[in-house]
Amino acid sequence: MKKKILIGIPAVLALALVFFGPELVDLVRLQTYLTESQEAYQDNKGEWPHLTDACEGCHGRNGNSLHQGYPSLAGQPESYLATQLRQFASGERENPNMSPLAMTMSEEEIQLYAEFFSRQTAKENQFFDADPELQEQGERLVETGGCAGCHGASLTGQGEFPLLAGQGYDYLLKQLDAFASGERKDATGVMNSMVKSLSADDRKAIASYMASLSPSH
Amino acid sequence: MAKKVSSDTSINAQRRQLLKFAGASAAAGGFGLSAGLARAGATLDPGSFDDVLDVAIIGGGLSGLTSARDLQRAGCESFVVLEARDRVGGRTLNYDVGHGEVSDVGGQWIGPSQTAVADLARELEVETFPSYYDGKTVILGGEGQLAIDLEGTFGTDHAIAEKLSKLSRDVPSGAPWKSPRADELDKLSVGDWLARQDIKVEDRVSWDGSIALTGGAMPAKMGFLHFLSMINSATSDYFKLDSIKDSAQGTRFVGGAQLLSIKMAEELGDKLRLSCPVRRISNWDRDVVTLHTDQGTIRARQVIMALSPPLCQQIDFSPSLPENRAALQRAWPAHSPARKTAMVYSRPFWREKGLNGHIFQVNGPIIWAYDNSPVNGEVGVINAFVSNANLPSGHDQAKRVLAEIYAQAWGEEALSPVAYHDQDWGQVDPWTITCISAIPPGFWTTHGEALNPPSGNLIWSGTETADIWAGYMDGAVRSGHQSALEALNALRLRRRT
Repeated sequence: MKKKILIGIPAVLALALVFFGPELVDLVRLQTYLTESQEAYQDNKGEWPHLTDACEGCHGRNGNSLHQGYPSLAGQPESYLATQLRQFASGERENPNMSPLAMTMSEEEIQLYAEFFSRQTAKENQFFDADPELQEQGERLVETGGCAGCHGASLTGQGEFPLLAGQGYDYLLKQLDAFASGERKDATGVMNSMVKSLSADDRKAIASYMASLSPSH
Repeated sequence: MAKKVSSDTSINAQRRQLLKFAGASAAAGGFGLSAGLARAGATLDPGSFDDVLDVAIIGGGLSGLTSARDLQRAGCESFVVLEARDRVGGRTLNYDVGHGEVSDVGGQWIGPSQTAVADLARELEVETFPSYYDGKTVILGGEGQLAIDLEGTFGTDHAIAEKLSKLSRDVPSGAPWKSPRADELDKLSVGDWLARQDIKVEDRVSWDGSIALTGGAMPAKMGFLHFLSMINSATSDYFKLDSIKDSAQGTRFVGGAQLLSIKMAEELGDKLRLSCPVRRISNWDRDVVTLHTDQGTIRARQVIMALSPPLCQQIDFSPSLPENRAALQRAWPAHSPARKTAMVYSRPFWREKGLNGHIFQVNGPIIWAYDNSPVNGEVGVINAFVSNANLPSGHDQAKRVLAEIYAQAWGEEALSPVAYHDQDWGQVDPWTITCISAIPPGFWTTHGEALNPPSGNLIWSGTETADIWAGYMDGAVRSGHQSALEALNALRLRRRT
């Protein structure tokens, strides 16, 4: 059925252009786009309206944020996402926007969000322009700091350790700063102690490097 | 000649004063503040003891300033307004588009039955004018589009709107938890209800957009009981809530909505302290409450809390607040940090093409773009509610992306804007957190009773507490009046004992 529609579109467009002019072509294109979007939605999420719709304003379509300050969720490890939601709800991790929202979620709902966003494909951070010098400095710091030990060889995350490659620059920097000040804590204390020794410029360099990495394996 | 000079000077002085309150001149604002604080004791009633004020108002938005204005009009001079930002107006904000004109980048419309804010505007001599919607709206999706005259509506399905209107009659606007059907309706999200309405595929986008803009969250996370209470505010007529003509998006203020607050602030002199966030409140359960601010401590008998519950949650209370109030604040939803943009053109060129400057976009950054040109229509302004993370954060990147979308809808002229403003309310400062409150399912039946009752000498105020049009500018004004009355009555009772 889907195939038939796809084959049909160019033919309909050509006919429409001949007989009715560009306005109708625009309309057919709009209708086609709506149909295709709806099918993609159904395949990825299921019935409309879906719970995950509520996340996409701040975390981007299918969890890919185009904004450096609002984090991407696409491709994050499932258990990392679930843990963060539980911590927002309990107050272990503080955020005035996320905490009350996470408090509305049952454990089942938490699992649903974590599963959904972990299986979305993370896209490149296309709107971030890194300063090459900072980027190089960041790369050196990431290597000497051994970030890959927990976050994976390409910093694409695993288990309780988030995907960092291609994450928003402002978000990364804010988290590094929060670990440095103790405002954000990780259970093992490793992040706090590792970041504590870094200068503010070091943290900027690391955020620049990570934001410009490709999140694909 | 001499007369003319002196009148100019007076206008300039007035203009400087206005700029100061608007936050356009942070330095001037800051200077005024310290001077104000030093004279705090000078505003005391002759009969009062030491430096205790009758009333402290936290929040210099529409609500707090309305309370201040009412107190002043009632003859009470022993009060102060504490505002964290370096400007007044809260979630209303004017953006200067040049030529002495502004575009709102915060709350901006009023509509039918919003009589409290309309009356205030008349008293303050702030004029109104209708939103512009003549011509065709463009609906964009991928490479496709449709230009259609929606005649001042959002094209909502009448049958479904009628069902919602009818259901809303049972849900009192100021106290949804008191609805006879509260338990049943509060279990549902708007999405649960919509899923049963056989919504056409092409209408889903517009329901998503409407609920997100009006309610603050996508349908699956928006409480149905709360949404019905919003329709109840609009005299139980869905179209008076979610449409343009004869609706809550139908009327604008000449000079911008922030002008209401700016004008009220002008009358307060040094009773208004800008850049003065309150960090801690102690002894709220005693006769004299102490407010610990960035500019020192202030003591008052009554405190009007003219700020949203998420902002109250940022304040440290000692002793701790009563458990039911604390629970309400902890759970109060704050995940709607709206992002609003203003693109300025030398003239509203789209109007000449029979277009109204409105856009709805499927899967794009734009939720709703609309003509927000000043009243005379000489400068063209397109405002847009954009999806925060679906538009890049960089100023120039966002400007380019939006201009290209506008060009797709209206032609090449859209690629040459003269200015652009991007107001991401959740990112710009910590004093908003959320635009409106997307109350989730189950919230009101759990926390509703804790919304209004004062805690000790703290009077909970702000638009969220209003009996009608909560969340709107009208609700802010209503709550401001109500809280001033409550404060005066509490003082009266105390003098009798």
